[in-house]
Amino acid sequence: MLGFLEKISQYTKEAFDAAKYLTQGIAVTFDHMGRRPITVQYPYEKLIPSERYRGRIHYEFDKCIACEVCVRVCPINLPVVDWVMNKQTKKKELRNYSIDFGVCIFCGNCVEYCPTNCLSMTEEYELATFDRHSLNFDNVALGRLPSNVTTDPSVTPLKELGYLPKKIMDPHEVSPLDPRAGKLPSEILDWMKNTEPSDSNENIQSRE
Amino acid sequence: MISPGLDLQMNFEQALESFGFSHEVAHILWLPLPMLLVLTAALIGVLVTVWLERKISAAAQQRIGPEYAGALGILQPMADGLKLLVKEDVIPKRADGFLFTLGPILVLIPVILSWLIVPFGQNLLISNVGIGIFLWIALSSIQPIGLLMSGYASNNKYSLLGGLRAAAQSISYEIPLALAVLAVVMMSNSLSTIDIVNQQNGAGFLSWNIWRQPVGFVIFWICALAECERLPFDLPEAEEELVAGYQTEYAGMKFALFYLGSYINLVLSALLVSILYLGGWGFPIPIEWLSTWLGESFNSPIFQLFAGSIGIVMTVLKAYLLVFLAILLRWTTPRVRIDQLLDLGWKFLLPISLVNLLVTAALKLAFPIAFGG
Repeated sequence: MLGFLEKISQYTKEAFDAAKYLTQGIAVTFDHMGRRPITVQYPYEKLIPSERYRGRIHYEFDKCIACEVCVRVCPINLPVVDWVMNKQTKKKELRNYSIDFGVCIFCGNCVEYCPTNCLSMTEEYELATFDRHSLNFDNVALGRLPSNVTTDPSVTPLKELGYLPKKIMDPHEVSPLDPRAGKLPSEILDWMKNTEPSDSNENIQSRE
Repeated sequence: MISPGLDLQMNFEQALESFGFSHEVAHILWLPLPMLLVLTAALIGVLVTVWLERKISAAAQQRIGPEYAGALGILQPMADGLKLLVKEDVIPKRADGFLFTLGPILVLIPVILSWLIVPFGQNLLISNVGIGIFLWIALSSIQPIGLLMSGYASNNKYSLLGGLRAAAQSISYEIPLALAVLAVVMMSNSLSTIDIVNQQNGAGFLSWNIWRQPVGFVIFWICALAECERLPFDLPEAEEELVAGYQTEYAGMKFALFYLGSYINLVLSALLVSILYLGGWGFPIPIEWLSTWLGESFNSPIFQLFAGSIGIVMTVLKAYLLVFLAILLRWTTPRVRIDQLLDLGWKFLLPISLVNLLVTAALKLAFPIAFGG
């Protein structure tokens, strides 16, 4: 008899616990309803791509020496460098250069190894086309200036979560022109140069 | 004393008879009006519910939800419905065409028919049938036949599993549901929804059934969610396991019938909870007090109109609060497994509702004044 009663009390307790946890869960869901949407209203709002974002590759035809290093370092030998040897000047003459962004994986090796810095990464990522062949960019298309989220008047640029100051979760609260949270690489470099001679910073000492 | 309140039918028929129509003709002319009105009300209720579902779901997930179709996306459900209306009607090649078509119809018709007994005021319902709430229980047991039919006719393993699950779920949750209703019926000595509401409207919100039947209220709500296949119990269409359950092979208008059926059922269940437990059209304070405060005679036409509209607003408001709760629950609770579902139904809700029924009977004998002796 006692065992039975115990079972019943256990059962009741479990039922009440379940109800309690359910209420707690509903409270969480309910609380979320009052919060500001965290989604980015895409065509009208866009996130500012992070620094070192690897978007569409920009190419400067005049700087290129047709060395084909980009082709060698590319995992799939993607860039097409179309050059001919000029017999008179005994120099390479570049005629065409193209990268097919339908195949490119945006690893950035070509940009990394280009000896003349004629390749660079942009923050352009809207590459959708109706025909995959139009993703094969020639040197003219590669040389176009990249579109920019911050300068487009029809777009509200928003900072990414990592670039927001501490305790702020909503990018709408921050002006996109405000300096980002934390130091820029150049600022850190300056700071390191200033602190190194005095040997005051233990961090840098220990690293050395 | 219960006032007759607004009687549109009587007024309409008297008006027609004064134009020289016979009594029968007046009655026949009256008949389609409330039916069309309730059908429209049900459809608009569904549109509003779909919109609410999308907006509240979005808010609970910190999204915005539909925004560009009409103001605040209010036309989005219309757009969805229109899309389904003009979509191609596909019957899978080796499916049973007849049963495949009959299934969604059998699901929708009993749900719409159940609106027969939903009162929005003393005389604001299609028909005050004597068996009232029992009619609803009887009609809702037709639905699993339709679900099973469409699941079987689709010639698809997911559909069949979904249909079987739907049938098992509906049948096992109908019993505690009926027992919970029975306790209410016992207290109000009537199956008629009108009498059930009237019995609750003696002292405003204090006389609502929820205070006398808290356990019954919870059981009824859980079972109603299970009958509507709302989220903690949406196993029949569990998309992670069964694609879309018995709806898998459906497209176009037939799918729209299922969709419509499930949402009408949700609104209907919410309305019935508000009728059975939350005082139906009753205002939180007795409406007679309002008439004395306003210095208006209770039987004056203006006050009757006012009371009638308050009644409709209160019924709809209570129902939509429950719909809101159902949507919140959808984003709070995980889906139960089929064994957990049947466990809850047979081992928890059924004994508890039986105990509830017995306790109600005992209380009715012990305190006839408070429990409707």
